[in-house]
Amino acid sequence: MSEKPITILYIDDEEHNLHSFKASFRKQYSITVTSSVVEAEEILEKNDFCIILADQRMPIMTGVQFFEKIRTKFPKPIRILITGHTDISAAIDAINKGEVFRFIDKPWDYNYVENAISHAYDIYKTREDLQQRNIELQKANEELDKFVYSASHDLRAPLMSVLGIVNLALLEDDIKSQNEYLELIRQSVKKLDTFIINIIDYYKNARGVPVVTDISFEELVTEVQATIQYLPEYGNLKMTTDIDQAGVFKSDVMKLRIIFNNLINNAIKFQDKTKPNQFVHLTIKSTPDAARIIVEDNGSGIKDSDQDKIFKMFYRAGATNSGSGIGLYIVHEAIAKLGGQIKVSSSIGEGSIFEVNIPSIHK
Amino acid sequence: MKPLLHFFLIDDSAFDLFIYEKLLLKSGITDSVKTFNSARDALKHLVSQGANLPESVILLDLQMPDMNGFEFIEEFDSLPPLLQEKIRIFMLSSTIDTRDIDKARASLHILDLLPKPLEIATLKKKLGI
Repeated sequence: MSEKPITILYIDDEEHNLHSFKASFRKQYSITVTSSVVEAEEILEKNDFCIILADQRMPIMTGVQFFEKIRTKFPKPIRILITGHTDISAAIDAINKGEVFRFIDKPWDYNYVENAISHAYDIYKTREDLQQRNIELQKANEELDKFVYSASHDLRAPLMSVLGIVNLALLEDDIKSQNEYLELIRQSVKKLDTFIINIIDYYKNARGVPVVTDISFEELVTEVQATIQYLPEYGNLKMTTDIDQAGVFKSDVMKLRIIFNNLINNAIKFQDKTKPNQFVHLTIKSTPDAARIIVEDNGSGIKDSDQDKIFKMFYRAGATNSGSGIGLYIVHEAIAKLGGQIKVSSSIGEGSIFEVNIPSIHK
Repeated sequence: MKPLLHFFLIDDSAFDLFIYEKLLLKSGITDSVKTFNSARDALKHLVSQGANLPESVILLDLQMPDMNGFEFIEEFDSLPPLLQEKIRIFMLSSTIDTRDIDKARASLHILDLLPKPLEIATLKKKLGI
């Protein structure tokens, strides 16, 4: 990760102070200077800064007054006041009130300023990281919330179905129909198992450490095909592939497997059995920089109004015996983690095309 | 003898429709069960029946794609009162989420939330038969 430069805004009505500051520190920091507090506010509207330095004695308003004014609107930058000895009490007051982080007395000394800036930046960075962590935590909590909610449905529902079938089977005197019930139990258990596998995939994807290796799309696709072709719902579907891989492509094979598995499984699950020749066609074009994966089918298609929602967690489109609403969410998350994109174009009754673009991971 | 009740089952799970249709018929409290795997379709059917609709009981699933159980209730609310009066709705769900349970309790149209799997004895008690 490349470190962003430390951005500093320095306000002082004495131009020569601005010049000497810039001359001393321009190599280390990205510095913006202005001699006017009015202009300083305008600059703040348009740019983000890590640190703001302001002189205490300025016309219109003092440095402390300036900080008081901008503090609520621009809370992120760390504020440092530059003062002469005569203003010490104002500076102490400002620090105690929390308006400024530190003060630098004039005439300033290079090392002292550098030290103040570096401490200020540490605080800025820590706050920034904390905020980022907070956002991530919030997202994790929301997901957990949704997970608990869906657990009641997707984990309990198949179990309650099994219990319902068992209750019904116990009322049945005819031994022959027991087999029919057993078959229903089998399907229900299978559905529950698929959901659990999906959840594990999701957590591996979300929390696991990515392992980047050379990818052979040919191998990967053969492997995925091997696991799905014996599925009972596979039917008469015809799967064709067109793989064009030039050079080395590097990525996380786990995530790619999740992507292929879900997209191809969906094409199988949502095939249109009324059509005479159901197909799924997989096209992969990969270069050392990027790969484009296209999964096209002539299945039942996705409604326009559903197309932006299908990647959301636990959203299920369609009323027929559909999935748990987690497959495409996992696909979306996996692609996002790989730095790629997915788009869908589909029309109801005709079929769907999923296009995935992912960059090769160079380390 | 009182005439047998007519039942509607609304559930996106084909299993559950199968199970509960069989169970209801076996229980002897009904000889007429109509199943819908989409709440939207069920609603359309109710509207199309209008005055011809017999006295009915609806067993309504909660979590369904497209239109869920609560969304069905919202639509049901705007149906003609004469139609509403013919229908008794029970929510039938495996939910254990307290928000769902509270919401179902608060609803004027939902007589009760019955847990899955459906127990005929419980249903009979709720129906007063």
